[in-house]
Amino acid sequence: MKKYLLGIALCFATVGAWANEAKLPKIELPTSPEALQRGAETVATVCLSCHNLKYIKYSDLSGLGFSKEKLGALSVGHGLDDSLMSPMSAEATKQAFGITPPDLSMMAKARVGGPHYVYAFVTGFYTNDKGKTDNHVFPGAKMPDVLGAASAKGEERTAIEYKAKEVAAFLEWAGDPKAQERRGLGRYVIAYLIVLTILLYLVKLRTWARLKEHHKRKHT
Amino acid sequence: MINRIIGWVDQRFPITAIIKHEATEYPVAPNLNYWWNFGSLAGVVLVLQIVTGIFLAMHYKADVTLAFDSIQHIMRSVNYGWLIRYIHATGASAFFAVIYIHISRTLYYGSYRGPRELLWWTGLLLLLLVMGAAFMGYLLPWGQMSFWGAQVITNLFGAIPLVGGHIVVLLRGDFSVGDPTLTRFFALHYLIPFIIAGAVVIHLVALHTVKSSNPSGLPIADKDNIPFHPYYTSKDLFGVGVFLIIFCSFVFFVPDAFIEPDNNIPANPMQTPPHIVPEWYFLPFYAILRSIPDKLLGVVGMGLGIVILAALPYLDRSKIPGGSRYRPIFKALFFVFIADAFVLGYVGAHPPEGPMVLIGRIATVIYFGYIVSMPFVSKWEESWLRKRGLPAPVQKYLDEQAAGGTK
Ligand code: HEC
Repeated sequence: MKKYLLGIALCFATVGAWANEAKLPKIELPTSPEALQRGAETVATVCLSCHNLKYIKYSDLSGLGFSKEKLGALSVGHGLDDSLMSPMSAEATKQAFGITPPDLSMMAKARVGGPHYVYAFVTGFYTNDKGKTDNHVFPGAKMPDVLGAASAKGEERTAIEYKAKEVAAFLEWAGDPKAQERRGLGRYVIAYLIVLTILLYLVKLRTWARLKEHHKRKHT
Repeated sequence: MINRIIGWVDQRFPITAIIKHEATEYPVAPNLNYWWNFGSLAGVVLVLQIVTGIFLAMHYKADVTLAFDSIQHIMRSVNYGWLIRYIHATGASAFFAVIYIHISRTLYYGSYRGPRELLWWTGLLLLLLVMGAAFMGYLLPWGQMSFWGAQVITNLFGAIPLVGGHIVVLLRGDFSVGDPTLTRFFALHYLIPFIIAGAVVIHLVALHTVKSSNPSGLPIADKDNIPFHPYYTSKDLFGVGVFLIIFCSFVFFVPDAFIEPDNNIPANPMQTPPHIVPEWYFLPFYAILRSIPDKLLGVVGMGLGIVILAALPYLDRSKIPGGSRYRPIFKALFFVFIADAFVLGYVGAHPPEGPMVLIGRIATVIYFGYIVSMPFVSKWEESWLRKRGLPAPVQKYLDEQAAGGTK
């Protein structure tokens, strides 16, 4: 039995270890609804001027606990059933930056490191020797330093880092809005399966206890 | 009432006789350990994949402009769509984990040996079918890895002399992977599981003809067998419970463990990802492919990696019955082979640079060396064991065989 479990665990563990080889610093993502709401606000007011979040509708944001008024303020000029789309068209952004910025709704799932990558990227801007802005995790990135990470020092820097954490946490939510529901349901499913499996084990024990009888019957 | 219905059916269809023959009176060795659970587990996963797959197909759109979006639609808007999709995606990996363990058990206990050759071959056929289904299914989300994986693998067929180019076009339905590829892969991905189900029936008929092998290394006398039901139904069900706990832990808590980040980016034929890696279950074979410097030979080597296993019943020439129980060399080499498969998997996951190239080549030689050297090693091991003196039960078995043979 132990060997059996170990075998499976080993199989999965090795695979898991290969899958994630990112060397990004792990940050602690805020989890409070308020932090996620602030992250959503930053994304809607800053990032959305260039990026889309096409899989997220304004109405989906109510899942973060936004009040009606706040949601109304956030979605001025849009219907609640509209997706979060940039006012700039793909062509316009391409003209401006030489590339259409990628959609952000799956961003936290589309990079190794997920939200940690997003955080490292938006705070990773710096001024290089030639006086140009570059990025530590994505050298040559065509995105401007929108949060002003390159020039910020001290308290200002801390504020930006906190903002970036909120943004990363929000984008993680946006990548998989059902994650919380999933984990909640998962607890019940696993608990149920454990009870069921214990019962099945007892059934198995009782059944096999009859084996001796079975042999006796057969040989007499 | 029930009895009358069953009686009515029995006169027209042998339902009671089938249940008796395949379950309540089907004789099984009493000493099967938990490694024997994985066959029935594979059946459970197959059902899980077919059921979730059918529900996914109700919402999926096989069209290059819609496929990626339709997956996100399933994940976000369809009721419990995320659950169905995560079960299906995790199920693919679970399928291979279960099958690979099932095959390893077959190798370790020598279950492939006569009279179970056909059982072994239908099993290998099932592995190939599952691989085909998995490969085609992986294209459907139309992410970057889907696209480039299909591009690279279909391209391999181009190495076949003369007809290679035609085969590639036939597979893709076009000169490169595109909408015709997606639609035909979807059609075949829906078809193959039912072929698999049919092949499973053949696999089981073969099994019920030759019966399960057992871990003792010696055949079990008929009188010692026990009926499949209730003994192994209860044991298998317990195994299913343990499996589901592990499986659901992945589905509910780390469902992205087997989804490459790159596959969450929509396919872009203009942009090649830096590393194109197949799913983990193809990695050892991918490593074999890349370890052989010639493209055609690489493709042949990759295919042989599985096909050559079919010869094992004939390559294993030892007269000592069973697998590892009474054969220490066989046992040691089994573990070398398994370790080697993991090394190949590791190599397959990494770019072919630096030491990976050499390690991959050595591991490829060991992989085939295990199989090709089997006739000599098994014979040599037998004579070595005979010189040392065989354990009494084995000697007795061999004497009986010899006596039976001269009668
Ligand atoms: C002024 C326009 C603009 C704004 C505002 C903007 N971005 Fe970007 N972003 C871009 C462009 C352009 C790229 C493409 C960079 C490239 O591929 O070189 C990009 C790329 C990205 C990437 C992907 C990097 C990669 O690995 O490919 C992330 C993540 C990202 N932006 C996050 C954000 C976040 C978070 C915000 C809001 C805080 C934001 N962006 C605001 C223009 C913008």
